[in-house]
Amino acid sequence: MSTKDNLSTTSSFWHAELELVFQQGFSRTVMVRCRHLGPLRVQKPFYPEEGCCHVYLLHPPGGIVGGDQLSIDINVEAQANVLITTPGAGKYYRSTGAQAKQQQRFRVGKQALLEWLPQEQIIFDGAYASVSTRVDLAEEAHFIGWDISCLGRPASKDYFVQGRYQTRFELWRDKQVLYIERARFEGGSDLFNASWGLRGYTVVGTMVCISAGATEGDELIMQLREALYSRYVLLFSVSQLDDVLVCRYLGDSAAEAKSIFTQAWQIIRPAFVGRKVCRPRIWNT
Amino acid sequence: MSHMKCGLFNLSRVLIIMDELGSSSQNISSIALLRLLQLTSPALPIGSYMYSQGLESAIELALINNEAETQNWLLGMLNHTLCYQDLPIFVRLYQSWQGSNERQIQHWSQQLLVSRESAELRSEDKKIGRALAKVLSQQGISCAENWEHEEGITVATMFSLAAVQWSIPLTAAMNGYLWAWLENQVAAAIKIVPLGQSAGLRLQSRCVADIPAIVAKSLQIDDDNIGFSAPSFAMLSAHHEVQYSRLFQS
Repeated sequence: MSTKDNLSTTSSFWHAELELVFQQGFSRTVMVRCRHLGPLRVQKPFYPEEGCCHVYLLHPPGGIVGGDQLSIDINVEAQANVLITTPGAGKYYRSTGAQAKQQQRFRVGKQALLEWLPQEQIIFDGAYASVSTRVDLAEEAHFIGWDISCLGRPASKDYFVQGRYQTRFELWRDKQVLYIERARFEGGSDLFNASWGLRGYTVVGTMVCISAGATEGDELIMQLREALYSRYVLLFSVSQLDDVLVCRYLGDSAAEAKSIFTQAWQIIRPAFVGRKVCRPRIWNT
Repeated sequence: MSHMKCGLFNLSRVLIIMDELGSSSQNISSIALLRLLQLTSPALPIGSYMYSQGLESAIELALINNEAETQNWLLGMLNHTLCYQDLPIFVRLYQSWQGSNERQIQHWSQQLLVSRESAELRSEDKKIGRALAKVLSQQGISCAENWEHEEGITVATMFSLAAVQWSIPLTAAMNGYLWAWLENQVAAAIKIVPLGQSAGLRLQSRCVADIPAIVAKSLQIDDDNIGFSAPSFAMLSAHHEVQYSRLFQS
């Protein structure tokens, strides 16, 4: 059987789905539904801080190959508080031709908070993948989410010269789109070295935050600039796009991206919901 | 006067060549061509000259220091952000205006606006869009009036409206949209890099040569592939918000 024939059979690809529903109970948020198909799991929720449910998302194959299809559907109902992260870096491996597709759909109910803080994605040279994320917020819902992508593995002299990695992020509230970001990394593109593109760096991160009310005034953004601009010159930026606060990282270290975004999170979370951050323990391992 | 004629003649030839290279050949009437020149003129009172779109920040931070680096920036923005983000949405807006499909116009206009990567880029698109709406409604385009106070307005929304109202063919309008962007960016670069007038003209000529292919490519982009993110551009624009000394509003 030729490689091409192998590609046309779906058996070698993973099709995985995960659907989670969280509700606010008497004293804490409870995961009331967890349906999975294929290799996508969550561990039993943790409660390292009062009220907020911490969940670790697991993908046992350890990486995604061309042709894989993953779908993650998370519904955080009114007043629930959920933080979701991953135990390690996600990996998109070189594709033999087929595109890997990951679709994420998050719904956040009234006065609920979803924190989507996965560890970085490593995009291997030759990967062919698209990730689309849509977040739908109810009135007064909060969302804090980040995405950190490492293009190639420069430490192993593996540069992203072939393939295509596309991401599409949309944030909606009440049928009104608030923010769209569609990234398109094509192997060998002039984007990688351009002054407007990645400037020779390989790690790019975006953190999108929106609070329940309109975030009027400049106080939060000024605090973020004050804390991070002089320390991380040109590695970090923040802008307030109407109600959406967008932080960015461009550099060469996923650990640095996580560290800077975590510092931003330490400022943003208390401003949004009046609670200090509680770092997921798994980040320390 | 003869100088002006010569300029018009050249531009109309350029537009014809552009159309030949585009997906379809579209003839432009003399009156439509003149309207397009009016629409893309830096003298149009919409205030484009006040904006540099991150260029001022890139120059301040020494990422752009000379003509060659300016050229890379301009060609990069044209071939990526404008080709994948502005133009495909411009096409959809133009077609929606043709079909008077108000819902689709609102939809695409909003999509473009919320794809802008920083507060200043969003604000610029809104402000110039509104100023253009005002100019167009004064010119007798009555549906522009409703857009003067619309939240989800962009330059492309009003530019495409004017193009449809004035019978400017789609590809010619797209060429004009890129030209207006280019002329404004080059004028900003001349001021801030700084560059000489002849360097500015060289940059324009170099970029104009690429415009037909960019327009043709953007016509092939389907809905799923619309959009582009230029991370450093977005960050530079965010940094411009706090740039100490600046001439431009973006």
